[in-house]
Amino acid sequence: MTQLPYAIDAETPLNPDELGVLRAQYEKEGDMVGVQTKFNYAWGLVKSNLRNEQHLGVMLLAEIFRTSPERRRESLYYLALGNYKLGNYGEARRYNDLLLDKEPANLQAANLRTLIDDKVAKEGLMGVAIVSGVAVVAGIVGGVLLRNLGRKR
Amino acid sequence: MDDTEHDNDFPDLSSFDDESSVISTRGLEAFGRKVTTTASQLMAPRSDPSSNPTYQNAMTEVHRQLRRPGLQRAMFSMANTTPTDLVRSRLSTKEIQSRALSYVPEELLKNIPEGDSSYSLFQGFQASFPELTDNGKKHRRRVSRGRKMLDEGPIIPDGTPESVRKLKQEKASMMHQFEMLGIRKNMASSEIREIDAKIENLAGMRRIILDRLANLEQDEALLEHDIVDVESRLEEAQEMVEEAESVAVRTPAKSEDDAASEKGDAPGFMSQSVYEKLPSSKGSSSDKKKPRSIRRKSMPILHEHFEPGSMIRSMRAHKDNVTALDFDAPFGLLVSAAMDDSVRVWDLNAGRCIGMLEGHTASVRTLQVEDNFLATGSMDATIRLWDLSKAHYDPQGHQFGKEEDDEDAIAFENPDDQPVDPPPGSMSACPLFTLEAHLDEITALHFRSNVLVSGSADKTLRQWDLEKGRCVQTLDVMWAAAQASALSSSDGGWRQTTRAADGSADFVGALQVFESALACGTADGMVRLWDLRSGQVSRSLVGHTGPVTCLQFDDVHLVTGSLDRSIRIWDLRTGSIYDAYAYDNPVTSMMFDTRRIVSAAGEDVVKVYDKVEGRHWDCGAGITEAEQDKTPAVVERVRIRDGYMVEGRRDGVVGVWTC
Repeated sequence: MTQLPYAIDAETPLNPDELGVLRAQYEKEGDMVGVQTKFNYAWGLVKSNLRNEQHLGVMLLAEIFRTSPERRRESLYYLALGNYKLGNYGEARRYNDLLLDKEPANLQAANLRTLIDDKVAKEGLMGVAIVSGVAVVAGIVGGVLLRNLGRKR
Repeated sequence: MDDTEHDNDFPDLSSFDDESSVISTRGLEAFGRKVTTTASQLMAPRSDPSSNPTYQNAMTEVHRQLRRPGLQRAMFSMANTTPTDLVRSRLSTKEIQSRALSYVPEELLKNIPEGDSSYSLFQGFQASFPELTDNGKKHRRRVSRGRKMLDEGPIIPDGTPESVRKLKQEKASMMHQFEMLGIRKNMASSEIREIDAKIENLAGMRRIILDRLANLEQDEALLEHDIVDVESRLEEAQEMVEEAESVAVRTPAKSEDDAASEKGDAPGFMSQSVYEKLPSSKGSSSDKKKPRSIRRKSMPILHEHFEPGSMIRSMRAHKDNVTALDFDAPFGLLVSAAMDDSVRVWDLNAGRCIGMLEGHTASVRTLQVEDNFLATGSMDATIRLWDLSKAHYDPQGHQFGKEEDDEDAIAFENPDDQPVDPPPGSMSACPLFTLEAHLDEITALHFRSNVLVSGSADKTLRQWDLEKGRCVQTLDVMWAAAQASALSSSDGGWRQTTRAADGSADFVGALQVFESALACGTADGMVRLWDLRSGQVSRSLVGHTGPVTCLQFDDVHLVTGSLDRSIRIWDLRTGSIYDAYAYDNPVTSMMFDTRRIVSAAGEDVVKVYDKVEGRHWDCGAGITEAEQDKTPAVVERVRIRDGYMVEGRRDGVVGVWTC
C-alpha cells in the first residue's frame, strides 16, 4: 500500500455526490473537526477540476499543516500537489523541495518535481515563444520600416 | 511594387539579423549554452536519473517532445515558476487572497517533526472511503466477488491453474482488507487520543473560566457590601435631614409648649415627642440604622460549576457532636449547634464565625434558618427566635485581627484550626422572643411564614403564632393515635416498633408545616399528616419499622428517613410508597433539593441519591481523606440547598461541599 498518492491520483476528480459525503462529514464535526476528516475533504477538493474547490482544498491543507505538527511532513506533499494543480508552481516547488530535502528517496515527491519542472518548462517555452514571436514580428516590421525609410532617403 | 520589395527583403533580412541586430539568434544560442552549463551544475545533485526510473522516463519523453531540451529546461528552471503563475499571483485579488490564506510561514516550515503516525492521511482516506479511490473500487469488486465465492462454498483446489489463480486473488483481496482494517483500527485509536487531548484542553479552559467566575463573584460580593454601606449612610443622612426639618417646623409652636412645660415637673430642652425621635446616645448609630442585611442580594452560582463532590471548605465549628445546623442560602449564613451547648453563626462565604447566640440553658437540638430569621429548639424546653440581620458583622471583617486572604472565597481553611472566637456581643441585638410552654426538650421544629410548629419529648406538638408570639394549638400525638386506633383499628394507632426502639430516639423525630398541613414523624415509625385547622390526623403513612428521624415534603413527594436504615419516598396524593432504598446504618438526617436526596447514615460520608440520574454516590471527607489514611468522624447532620451541601460531624467539624 502506498503512503502517498501519485500526482496522477489528484487528476481524477470525485463526482459531486462523493465530494458531498466528504463535505457533510466535515461540516458535521463542526469546530472540533478531526484531522482525518479535514484531510479527506481537502483531498476531495484538491482532486476537483474546479479552481474554487482546489483553492479551498489547499487552504484546508495549510490549516492541517499549521495545527497538527505530526502531520506536517505529509502535508508538505499535499500542499505541493495542491499548488501544482492550481498552477502555483513557485509554491509547489517550495514545499516539494523541502520534502525532498527531508526524504530524498520519496518517489512521489520526485515524480512531482519532474512534473513541476516540465510544466514550468512547457509554459515558459510557450511564453518565450510568444514573446520572441512578438519580437521577431516587431523586428520584421521594424526592418521593413527602416528599409523603406532608407529607400526613400 | 510592394511584392517585389518584399521578395527582395528576405535575403536582406537574414543578413541584417546576422550582422546588425542587437538580439541575434547566435547571441541567444550562446547565452543559452552558458545558462545550460550553470543550471546543470546547480541541478546535478537532485537529478540522478539512474536511481529514478520515473524521472528518466519523463526526461526521455521531454527529450522526445522538445528539440533542444537541455537549453529550454535549463532556461526555465532558472525561473521558479511560469509567467502565467507570476501574472496571476500579482494581479488577481482572489488569487492573492487565497494564497494569503493558504500560505505557510517559514518558521513553520522549519519546524517539521518526524511523523510518528502509524498510517498516512492518504491511507486513512482510502480506508474510510474505499469506494472513492480507484484502488478501492478495484479491490471492492474483487472482495465482493470473493464473498460470493465464499458464499457458494470454498473453492475446492482441483489442481487446475485456474483455481490457484482464483485462490491467490482471493488471498490478495483478503490481505488488502486485513491491511485496511489495521489502518482503520489505528485511525480510531488515534482519533480517541485526539479527542482526549481536546477534552484536556477544554478542561483547562474550564478551570480558567471557573477562576474567573470566582473572581467575579468575589468582586460582586465586595461591591454589594459597599452598596449596602452607602445605602445605610444615605438613609442616615436622609433621616438627619428629616429630623432637622421637623425640628424647624416645631420651633414656632414651642411658645405654646413652653407654657405647659414651665409648670410641668420636667422642664426639657425639647418637647417630649421630638426627644423620643432623637437617637439615643448609647449605640446611637446601630439602633437607628436600618438593620443591615448581611444576606447576599446576588445569587452565587460558583458552586454549581464545581465538580460534584468537591469540598468548598471545612470548618472546625465545635468541640463536640454537631446536633443541628441549617443555612439560608449557598454562601450565606450558617447556624450550627452542638453538644457543647453553643450556637454559632457562620459566614459561609468567608468561612468565619460571626458570633455566638446565647440564651439557651441547654444544648440546641433543632434549628431552622429562613431568610433572616432563626428558630432554635433546645433541651431546656424553650424555643427562641432570632433576627440574624441585627448581627454586627462586617463581611470584610478586619475586627477579628484575622486578615488572611479572604479574597479567595473558596479558600480551604485548615479544619484543625481552633475556632476563632468572634467579638463578644456581636449578636446581642439578635434575640426576638422566647416561646415557653413545652414541658420537655424540643426535638423538632419547623416554621413557615407566621406559623411555627414544634415537637417535644413531652409527646405533644404545639403550633405557635409568630406574630403574637404565643401558642395557639396543642396537638397530643398519643391522643390522636388512640383516636385513630379506636376508629379504624387497622392502622394509625401507636405501634410498638419491631425494632427495639432504643431510648435515645426522639419521640418526635421530624416535622414540617405548610400552611394548614403538617407532617410529623415519630418514634413509632409512623408519619402522620395533620390538618391544623381541625387539629386531626388526616392520614397516617405506615412503613418504617424504626423511629422516623427526618422528613421533608414538596408538592408531590414526602421523603422520610428512619433509624430502620431506610429512606422512603411517598406519594403525597395517594399516600403510597413511591420509592424506597436503604443504607447500612440508621439514617440520622436527610434533606433533598430539586435534584438530590442527601442523607447522613452513620458513615463518614454523606450518601447522595441523584434523582435525575437515579444514581447513588458518596460525597464527603470519607472519600477525600481516605487517601491520607485519616478517618473523619461520622456525619451526623446534613443540609442541602441548590446543590450546596453542609454536613456536621460528630467531632464538631462542619464541611461544605458541592453536590
